[in-house]
Amino acid sequence: MAESHKSSFAEFVGSGDEYYSRIFEKIQKSSLEFAHINFAAATGGFAWAAFRANWLLAWFGFAIDLIALVNLAGAYKYSSASARALADGKDFLVDRYDAWAESNLIAAVVFFFGGRFVFGWLADRLYYRRYSAWRIDRRKSSGANASRLAILAAVVVLIAPLTLYRASQFPPEHRTCIKQDRAIQKGEEIPFKNRFDCFAIGEFPTLFWLDRRNEFSFPRNEDGSRRMEVKPPREGLPPISLNTWTAQATDDGIAYLTAFYGWIFDGITAFLRTMLGAVEAVFVGTPWMITAGVFLAIAYKAAGLRIAVFVGLSLVYLALFGFWQTAMDTLSLVVGASIICVVFGLPLGVWVGKSRAGQAIVTPILDIMQTIPSFVYLLPAVAFFSIGKPPGIFATVIFAMPPMVRLTALGIKQVPENTKEAALAFGANPKQLLFKVELPLALPSIMAGVNQVVMMSLSMVVVAALIGAGGMGFIVTEALANTQTGRGILAGIGIALLAMMIDRVVQKAKIAKN
Amino acid sequence: MVENEKSLVEARGVWKIFGDRAGEALQAIKSEGLDKAEVLERFEAVIGVRDVSIEVREGEIFCIMGLSGSGKSTLVRHINRLIEPTAGSILIDGIDVGSLDAPALRALRSKKIGMVFQNMALFPHRTVRDNIAFALELRNVDAYTRMQVADGVIEKVSLQGYGDRMPSELSGGMQQRVGLARALAADPDILLMDEPFSALDPLIRRGLQDEFLALSKTMRKTTLFITHDLDEAIRMGSRIAIMKDGAIVQVGTSEEIVTNPADEYVADFVKGISKLKLLFAQTVMVPLKQFESEAGKIGELSSYPKAGPKEDLDRLVSLAIGSKRPVLIVDDGNPVGVVTKDALLRGIQGET
Repeated sequence: MAESHKSSFAEFVGSGDEYYSRIFEKIQKSSLEFAHINFAAATGGFAWAAFRANWLLAWFGFAIDLIALVNLAGAYKYSSASARALADGKDFLVDRYDAWAESNLIAAVVFFFGGRFVFGWLADRLYYRRYSAWRIDRRKSSGANASRLAILAAVVVLIAPLTLYRASQFPPEHRTCIKQDRAIQKGEEIPFKNRFDCFAIGEFPTLFWLDRRNEFSFPRNEDGSRRMEVKPPREGLPPISLNTWTAQATDDGIAYLTAFYGWIFDGITAFLRTMLGAVEAVFVGTPWMITAGVFLAIAYKAAGLRIAVFVGLSLVYLALFGFWQTAMDTLSLVVGASIICVVFGLPLGVWVGKSRAGQAIVTPILDIMQTIPSFVYLLPAVAFFSIGKPPGIFATVIFAMPPMVRLTALGIKQVPENTKEAALAFGANPKQLLFKVELPLALPSIMAGVNQVVMMSLSMVVVAALIGAGGMGFIVTEALANTQTGRGILAGIGIALLAMMIDRVVQKAKIAKN
Repeated sequence: MVENEKSLVEARGVWKIFGDRAGEALQAIKSEGLDKAEVLERFEAVIGVRDVSIEVREGEIFCIMGLSGSGKSTLVRHINRLIEPTAGSILIDGIDVGSLDAPALRALRSKKIGMVFQNMALFPHRTVRDNIAFALELRNVDAYTRMQVADGVIEKVSLQGYGDRMPSELSGGMQQRVGLARALAADPDILLMDEPFSALDPLIRRGLQDEFLALSKTMRKTTLFITHDLDEAIRMGSRIAIMKDGAIVQVGTSEEIVTNPADEYVADFVKGISKLKLLFAQTVMVPLKQFESEAGKIGELSSYPKAGPKEDLDRLVSLAIGSKRPVLIVDDGNPVGVVTKDALLRGIQGET
């Protein structure tokens, strides 16, 4: 038994089996000294690991050595820069470069010796794990083989020189490279080093240049309607990059839509404003005593005494620190946005839950909506609806709608197939199936969706202060701009309390209902 | 049992093949006689029901017995067209179910057919009463009438006092009573029972079987009863159809099936069944003449234990115990045959 064990050690390690058999046995007996280091590995570094088919360790060793070398190249870069600065008489740069060169040098030494030390410590321990994996799957490479060093050399040649070159040079600025590109197009001679630097070690090179687009404008006619005017680009201007071209095209598209289909956006704005007016009449237009009393009553009824006390204390905080009106402003935005989300999200969710086409169409859109950072939604909102509360609500709705759709769809899909079958067997038509069976059974999931919508609306409404939606978020953004830290923090706490109030009440109400 | 010979539910050459290429597969099966595996391989299709024709007479309990995957649940779902047949037709009271438009089909489902499911499939968000009145609610019957009807049915299935409970508060057996009540509420002509008692433990199952039989005797609903348990089929069914791989292997009364299994498959099933209640004196007896020619005249009648030709084995065993003489079978006062102990023992083993 023990012999076969030893022979499998030998079979795995190839050469040096006496040493490794002893070490592996110690590892198995848990008697390996903590300070044990494989000196061959520490000296040979990643070459040792490659030689022993220990690829993970090889990459690790290569990475440490490369980091050490990159720092060394950095030290060279800054010391030569310091010498140049001294020659140019820029004394103020000399000290800075010298300090950087020194810290790079120290880092290089620490990484090299420290890294090799760690490497030597890890070597036998990881080698043993490799052995364990090899016992399970004998196809894994084993033994000691010098031909692996050739593979390693190839990898090193591919990676190391360019990386070290990059570390030892100041990369060219993007703008310099653009100018150089234009000069090349004009037929000027540029030294190879400059061309190579722009291509290899700077920003990703601009591979192609596009002609400028026509210029569009949408002036008004005598009667107030708009017309489109197209002018060719001015002569002599340089070509533009793909980014600039696409951005301009997008701008033109938005300008076109707002010029000719402005009535759609005006209509939506008017709708949002009217709706918000109604909601605000409830929250802002009602005296604080009444609103507070109603909140407390709702909290007590729906969620019990403890939550009601919490809501009461939060309201006291908002009132004492002078956030009452702003908080009610924010709340109106949240309620307005949430209502729209539910009104549109619920049917959409039902469609997604019941129809494959709906799922195929809507799911990718929701994925995109949830991946895009919330700030980005502000841009189209401003482009189409200008600034103020309506675009704020618009952005909020787009941001907060996905969970409503998803959770409604989930709830509908989770209705057991046999329950639906039973309803059909008793003669339910599709409408009855939906309203009497599917929606009631999906209700818990739908309510979870509503809760999510409210929470996400609140977070987005705060961000929407950036485009003039006002409310608590406005205080925070203002504080950020004027470094009024204390004021900002107070408002932040107010927002957090607002969120917790809504969340607690809605959650508790849900549990009580079930 | 008195049976009306008129058939209320009829299946004519019903085929069901699952898969996108069901039509092609059916053609190939009919012309080339493919088996299950070949159909799956060539058309990625699964045969659910294979050329089934049955007739269910008015008022009878027709059992469909088969193991899981034999297509019995699929077949029964054709009757209220929860599943569309690939070929063939279903007639209810002479009307082709396949020809009905959506509203007519819904009316058929809510008025004429009640269904009970193995997993109950109650609506968890509705009270017991609202579950029971579901079919009526779908037909826009007013709430007052619904309550009256539901309470009546609740009494029938002995669930008094549970009308306002939620299904989750009830035990499995009680839930299935709700399932049964829900199927009965609309007073349908036909009951489809898809393994209604399979999920219950044996004692409760037996109790419910008895209750259902009693109910059935008074209500006389035409019932299609699905089960994977031959004992249950024999207890419940006026007639039994045995299914295997989507096709019907044998249809007959329980005695026919036990005494005369159509093939090895059925015989295998029947082997483990107790024949005490299934075989009757007339089946196991030796005719009097034959007996006398072998064993001589029987002599004085009064010294024999006597039984009628319709008595079952269980009864004959009781008579035979403690008697040295064979049991004499007497029809209308005349001796017609003799059941010896050997014949009795053979009968218990299922040989006649």
